[in-house]
Amino acid sequence: MFKIRRNASIAIAFFVFVFAIGTFVGPYNQGQIAVALTLFIGVLSINILTGLSGQLSLGQGALMAVGGYGCALMMINAHLSMWLAIPLSLIASALVGLLLGLVAAKLSGPYLAGTTLVLALAMPTVANKFDSILGGDTGLSIDTGMPPTWLSKVMGDIAIEQWNLYVSLPFAALALFFAANLFTSQSSRRWRAVRDHESAAALVGINVERTKISVFVISSAFAGVAGALYGLRGLVGPSVFAISLSLSLLTGSILGGLRSIAGAGLGSVIIVFLPDWIGKVIHPFSLSDQVTNYLPAFVSGLLLVLTVVVNPSGLAALFAKIFRFSRVKR
Amino acid sequence: MQTFLTALFTGTSHGAIYALVALGLVLVWRGAGLINFAQMGQAMFSAYIASTIINHHINYWWAFIVAIIAGGALGGAIDVLVIRPLKKKSGSSILSSPSMRDAIPVIASLGILGILQSAAGMIWAGEERGFPAPVSTLGLSIGKRAMPFTRFDIFVIVLIWLILIATTLLLNKTSVGLAMRASALNMEVARLSGIRTRSIRTLGWILSGSLASVAGLMVAPATNVSPNSLDLLMIIGFTACVIGGLNSLWGSVTGAFILGLTISFINIYDAPGDVFLGIFAILIAVMIFRPSGLFAKGKARNV
Amino acid sequence: MKFKPMTAVAILAVGALSFTAIPAQAADPGVTDTEITLGMQLPQTGAASPGYNKVDDAMRAYFDYVNSKGGVYGRKITLVAKDDKYSAGLTISTASSLINESNVFAMVGSVGTQTHSAVIKDLNRRGIPDLFVNSGNSAFYTNPSKYPTTFAGLGTYVVEAKILGKYIKATYPDKKVGILYQSDDFGKNAIQGFTTAGLVFTPGKTAAGFIAGTQGSLGITSQLKQLQDAGVQVVIIASVASTTAIAALTAKALNYTPDKWVVMSVGSDATTFQTILYTKKIMPAQSAAMLAGIVSASHAPSPGEATDEYVAAFKKINDQFNTGTDKTWDNNVLQGMNIAYQTVEALMGTGKNLTRKALINWMNTKGSTLTSAALAPVGFSSKTHEAYTGFWIGEYDATAVLKPVGASRVVYTTDSAAGPVTISTFKRPAISADALPKAA
Repeated sequence: MFKIRRNASIAIAFFVFVFAIGTFVGPYNQGQIAVALTLFIGVLSINILTGLSGQLSLGQGALMAVGGYGCALMMINAHLSMWLAIPLSLIASALVGLLLGLVAAKLSGPYLAGTTLVLALAMPTVANKFDSILGGDTGLSIDTGMPPTWLSKVMGDIAIEQWNLYVSLPFAALALFFAANLFTSQSSRRWRAVRDHESAAALVGINVERTKISVFVISSAFAGVAGALYGLRGLVGPSVFAISLSLSLLTGSILGGLRSIAGAGLGSVIIVFLPDWIGKVIHPFSLSDQVTNYLPAFVSGLLLVLTVVVNPSGLAALFAKIFRFSRVKR
Repeated sequence: MQTFLTALFTGTSHGAIYALVALGLVLVWRGAGLINFAQMGQAMFSAYIASTIINHHINYWWAFIVAIIAGGALGGAIDVLVIRPLKKKSGSSILSSPSMRDAIPVIASLGILGILQSAAGMIWAGEERGFPAPVSTLGLSIGKRAMPFTRFDIFVIVLIWLILIATTLLLNKTSVGLAMRASALNMEVARLSGIRTRSIRTLGWILSGSLASVAGLMVAPATNVSPNSLDLLMIIGFTACVIGGLNSLWGSVTGAFILGLTISFINIYDAPGDVFLGIFAILIAVMIFRPSGLFAKGKARNV
Repeated sequence: MKFKPMTAVAILAVGALSFTAIPAQAADPGVTDTEITLGMQLPQTGAASPGYNKVDDAMRAYFDYVNSKGGVYGRKITLVAKDDKYSAGLTISTASSLINESNVFAMVGSVGTQTHSAVIKDLNRRGIPDLFVNSGNSAFYTNPSKYPTTFAGLGTYVVEAKILGKYIKATYPDKKVGILYQSDDFGKNAIQGFTTAGLVFTPGKTAAGFIAGTQGSLGITSQLKQLQDAGVQVVIIASVASTTAIAALTAKALNYTPDKWVVMSVGSDATTFQTILYTKKIMPAQSAAMLAGIVSASHAPSPGEATDEYVAAFKKINDQFNTGTDKTWDNNVLQGMNIAYQTVEALMGTGKNLTRKALINWMNTKGSTLTSAALAPVGFSSKTHEAYTGFWIGEYDATAVLKPVGASRVVYTTDSAAGPVTISTFKRPAISADALPKAA
């Protein structure tokens, strides 16, 4: 009980903190923060699946796609408001996660990685197969709409990007709350046991397969909400949920820290803002287009390799060690 | 009937290329215990080097040799610069979990892939370059009958079968091959019996890098050379390993031919849009019934 | 200290209120007395970039030329181009950067259909002019009440397909016609146009689709084999330029020699065709021979028509002012400069008092008078924002230049719906001596 109260306070503090920052920055950065909040939920799904239960998935982007398309269909065909469609979209992705989990729970490391990778590749083509419903290549156009008039009256002019932030923020805070509860729950001990020593866990009586499946379902639910929010920026389409998205999420998770929520937050900020930071740093040098267009990807690959070799637990763990926050063995 | 034959031959010649990719992956898997996602990035990089040489009007075969050396060198460099430090690392708590110990190097290879692709972009402006084939890719007629394949198709199939046989001979009949198989089976015991496991592992990386380059050069005439041109090949090659069984060299090769034929037949007899879904369907089917691959050599239980 | 979340919320909310009241903007962003800032998005890197990544450099070359002559009413034009890697998620971020950080006055010449779908609603909502979009997707332009600020930069695929379709029906009435198409909206729009013109395709027999972008990796052998087996004698290609090159080679490998290849303008760039084949050791003379006889359509002169006054003038400006890494003269460069020319004309027409509303208004009322290198008129009006409503039909000669079929060039015109194909009476005005448009 105490833990839930504490996690709720953390989530509320997070909400307030990001809300405050959001009001001080300009519209472009507000939009970037909105993306970071959305991808935060996606990276959380990886931290839960890979960090807590040790299953490496290269296809979280595909599960985001399920959430995105689910949300779009509900808003367009069933005329649901986005506030309903976003939470409901997690049902679609959780279901797909269940189906995936049923197969994936039996697979070990590289086989799981391979299956999820092919899933990430195949998922966008489903949109082209059922293009009358799913919009094919042009995709389905949804967005967060204009901010409600009562809010504009209270706060003055709100940029679209700012409204995107205000829509993503409550879901990010809720995701934080639920993730925090998960990380400190009894179930997570089972998951960690499966991650660290599968045979011992089985001997102790843990149903390894059922555990793996349930983590898949929960992780997919997070991914689905992230996908819905990501699609609400303007388009749900195949190129929005390409393989590069799955790989970006994984990069964010590793760079920030695979096993913590703070790590997920750091990681999502890095993957969103790194190109902007690099742009600012190289601006005075007038490098050719050739170099500037590829530099962010180069730096991010380099960081990934360096992190994995030098500091595999990620930045969050490094900060925790430096400032001695961590007393609990993760 | 003509259509069937075309599907068969296209599938076989593409399958041969996928087999080469799969072979490289299996070598690194057995030698170093990880899936090298950067493999086709190495191939792409060496294809760019080859292309630059060819554009300076140097004979194709010199470029071919340089590309193979470059691919091998890249492989060796990755082992020495990244994998060795990775294997040494033990301090972090994250590596105490076996699933993480397996996953971390894979993630490293993804990072290396990103580095290779963006480096190629920066050096060669991401420009899409055509690439010549060493043998004619135009229609082949024997007598008056038009054949459903080209001279290049035959060249590819023959070359790759030679490579497969040579690799099998290397692994099974030479002492180096024996050392490689021993290290893959049990590194501790191999080291104790005097095998220099670290050098052997580097050798595996070099060999796999060279093989990947050959695959890249074989497919470059069709796909052209650009930083992302070999991504699809990587995924299909990896899927072939998963379907066939990562521990079985010939199993993975078989998986590659199965995939090649499947893609070809789906393309012709069904809609091309279904190709990736078809691959996924086969993968899931195999994973449900044989989670370690079709030709996996029994399930090992660690207690 | 006991943490009281609610208090914090209250304090910060009040604090936020005092900061978010932004005074309304007086003038439009992106326009000062000395400068006009324009923005565009395109795939500069990634799988979809080859060819298209030259468009922004070409546009900038023409703008720099205009700036060297004093600009538009004393305002120099600056073009900010952002790379969206053909990923719709990125397009939204780069658009936001162009709007909020670069403070662009208008977007011009953005490249990419799916990527533009992600931002078109927002651009229109903000009243930002979205001119000369490099996409032939008619849905963007045929409903100005939905997208009031978006104007086309290309003829729609449907228009072109209708015109080509009518030509094929008239010229090859007894031959079997088939189509090789990429299975995205481009391909579907093309099929729609050809079908409206009266051609009939059977999927699995005379219609062979492939996933856009996989013509190299997965190949199109099976597709061409399918057409060959169905006895197709006239093959239409509705795809990009690399597909045309690959199709030519693959057909040769299959010993497939259709009577005619008909390639839609998007896929018909002689320079790309020959460059790809050159790297496969096929010399320009031989690749030009492969190109000869191929039918295509265009709304502008062929980039190889060195005697055309617009081509000559633009080429000169490209040589002198283009600072991009690759400035090889081809269709992409011609199109880029053409769009820049029209942009300058529209800015001049709007006048010294340059506002977004005034520009949109000018496009709606006077936009149809826009001239450029194009040999077909633009159809801009308040009823439709389609650009070139006409195409001329040509055949490649032995020197890789597209020449009109028949004795003289005939430009056909039609709409994106079911209207008939008729002959256009448009006469392109001559270019002025200084290659600058005249104010209307």
